[in-house]
Amino acid sequence: MINSVSAKVKVDPKDAKVSMAHFYVAFIALALGGLMGLLQVLVRSGKFELPLGIGYYEILTTHGVLMGLILTTFFIMGFQYAAVSKTAGTHSNAARRAGWIGFWLMTIGTLMAAAMILTNKASVLYTFYAPLQAHWIFYLGLTLVVVGSWVDGAAQIMTYAKWRKNNPGKPSPLLTFMAVINTVMWIVATLGVASTVLFQLLPWSLGLVDRVDVLVSRTLFWYFGHPLVYFWLLPAYMAWYVVIPKVIGGKIFSDSLARLTFILFLLFSVPVGFHHQLMEPGIDPAWKFIQVILTFMVVIPSLMTAFSLFATFERYGRSKGAKGLFGWFKVLPWNDARFTVPFIGMVAFIPAGAGGIVNASNQMDQVVHNTIWVTGHFHLTVATAVLLTFLGVSYWLVPHLTGRKLTKSMNKLAIIQGWVWFIGMTFMSVAMHLEGLLGGPRRSSFSTYGNSQQALDWIPYQIAQAVGGSILFIGIILFLIIFINLAFFAPKGEEEFPVGEAENLEEKAPLVFENWKLWLGITAVLILFAYTVPFIDIIQNAPIGSKGFKTW
Amino acid sequence: MAKAELKTEQKTEIEDSSSLKGTLASVFFLGLFIVITWVSVYMLFVERF
Ligand code: HEM
Ligand SMILES: [Cu+2]
Repeated sequence: MINSVSAKVKVDPKDAKVSMAHFYVAFIALALGGLMGLLQVLVRSGKFELPLGIGYYEILTTHGVLMGLILTTFFIMGFQYAAVSKTAGTHSNAARRAGWIGFWLMTIGTLMAAAMILTNKASVLYTFYAPLQAHWIFYLGLTLVVVGSWVDGAAQIMTYAKWRKNNPGKPSPLLTFMAVINTVMWIVATLGVASTVLFQLLPWSLGLVDRVDVLVSRTLFWYFGHPLVYFWLLPAYMAWYVVIPKVIGGKIFSDSLARLTFILFLLFSVPVGFHHQLMEPGIDPAWKFIQVILTFMVVIPSLMTAFSLFATFERYGRSKGAKGLFGWFKVLPWNDARFTVPFIGMVAFIPAGAGGIVNASNQMDQVVHNTIWVTGHFHLTVATAVLLTFLGVSYWLVPHLTGRKLTKSMNKLAIIQGWVWFIGMTFMSVAMHLEGLLGGPRRSSFSTYGNSQQALDWIPYQIAQAVGGSILFIGIILFLIIFINLAFFAPKGEEEFPVGEAENLEEKAPLVFENWKLWLGITAVLILFAYTVPFIDIIQNAPIGSKGFKTW
Repeated sequence: MAKAELKTEQKTEIEDSSSLKGTLASVFFLGLFIVITWVSVYMLFVERF
């Protein structure tokens, strides 16, 4: 890659501080969210009750918000900020100021939302569906998180634009390109959630209006909610495509293929939100079907990714003299946490993806919708594939940023951490999938439903989830020990920021990939196509709207 | 003579180091896994609805 010339060896210490600030908040969220997760599995096993009259939905809201919204957004913004600084050059003072402003806006917003949840004024779960009504400070806090992430994203875009100006006619560094695609997708997506919060939920929770249109609000939420999951996934893909090849000593299979994959995700992530509303009345089935087809388009970049990762591994293995169909598998560097931990994540993405195809299969969603199967599914996607990749990245990025080293013993503990997560998640996720197929609901505390046989049959699976969840909690503690070591105590030294090179350096990425007018144009066309008619329909046939409910 | 024979025998065993047949097999397995998962839940669906 041409770009490695302009890139600095190390992320500038001033930029490192911005990233580390994001990581502190992210991992505090992981610690507290993990504790809530543990409580949930214990409650759902039927062997434990929450003390002091704490409600189940209060802890579940805390878990969903901290894990799904706070941990992810903070980590991603910190990682992408560092990745851009490393590959496109140190951020300008203006961009760095944006990084700090974004960080503080997000942090203040988080504290506001957390205060409302902890005082039991916002047990509305992380999807905050109307007509459940939270305190307005909760919505305002989440708004600040989103606005802060935009400012954070602006920092990355500024540095990308500067690089383009200084390097006319050249494709931008791959990691920077990927970070910018993800940021742009995020901005497009959050317009939906920002609209429902600003125009519906805030005025309604402030008492300025009495009623809210539930379907409009949920549709705007899912316009955002699906790309949200790709916003989590793409930074993991950045690590898989660019970092892992370098860690194992191999090459990126193809730079252009990686860029094309990211562009396809930009195009097909947004106009698909209806696949979360397949069971919802009030939306024309024909439009649901159209969005299901668009959903299946993301199978293409997903399988492109699987192919090129396998190819990277096989090429590397064969260069080491591995023979046979799968000989390359054995020579991969299993003793290197920077490889093994994300690799476990990649493996988890196989059943995760297969389950996702089931969920999206229109009528088949009836089998699994709102069952604990869905929870099993996204603990494989975000809580394993994405999370283990983020942790694997932290194992080199945190010491890189703090000027320390990942020692041999910490590397070993990190590998143990990865396998502990794998074991815990196998228990919890398999049990969730099976219980879901037997009809066990998600988002519910323990109940035998008047000793109905069906509900009694779920109990063994809930016990298995409690076992798995407890093991997962140990995994979180192990991670926190390593993180604190890497941030404060590990010996001073240089830890590499691994950035892979493409196998074929002559292959220059086509410049059309950086034609934002084109890609944003197609994105807009697809969104307008998928949403305009059904949205008009929803508004024209709207009921009078609902008053707010507080069910907790 | 014997030496030359040995050589040709070895040649057939040497694999092209740029071979991607493991990758091909892997993506086929992946596809198969997806199909099996999907069909299993599909059968449940047909049975129940
Ligand atoms: C110690 C580890 C964890 C345990 C034991 C755990 C357990 C659980 C359980 C039992 C539920 C469902 C409860 C219900 O539906 O009634 C749940 C929901 C959820 N979990 Fe986790 N989890 C863990 C880690 C994570 C991580 C790392 C993430 C994300 C990065 C995550 C994200 C979520 C989300 C978004 C929900 C949905 C909340 C909702 O339905 O509103 N979890 N978790
Ligand atoms: Cu989705």
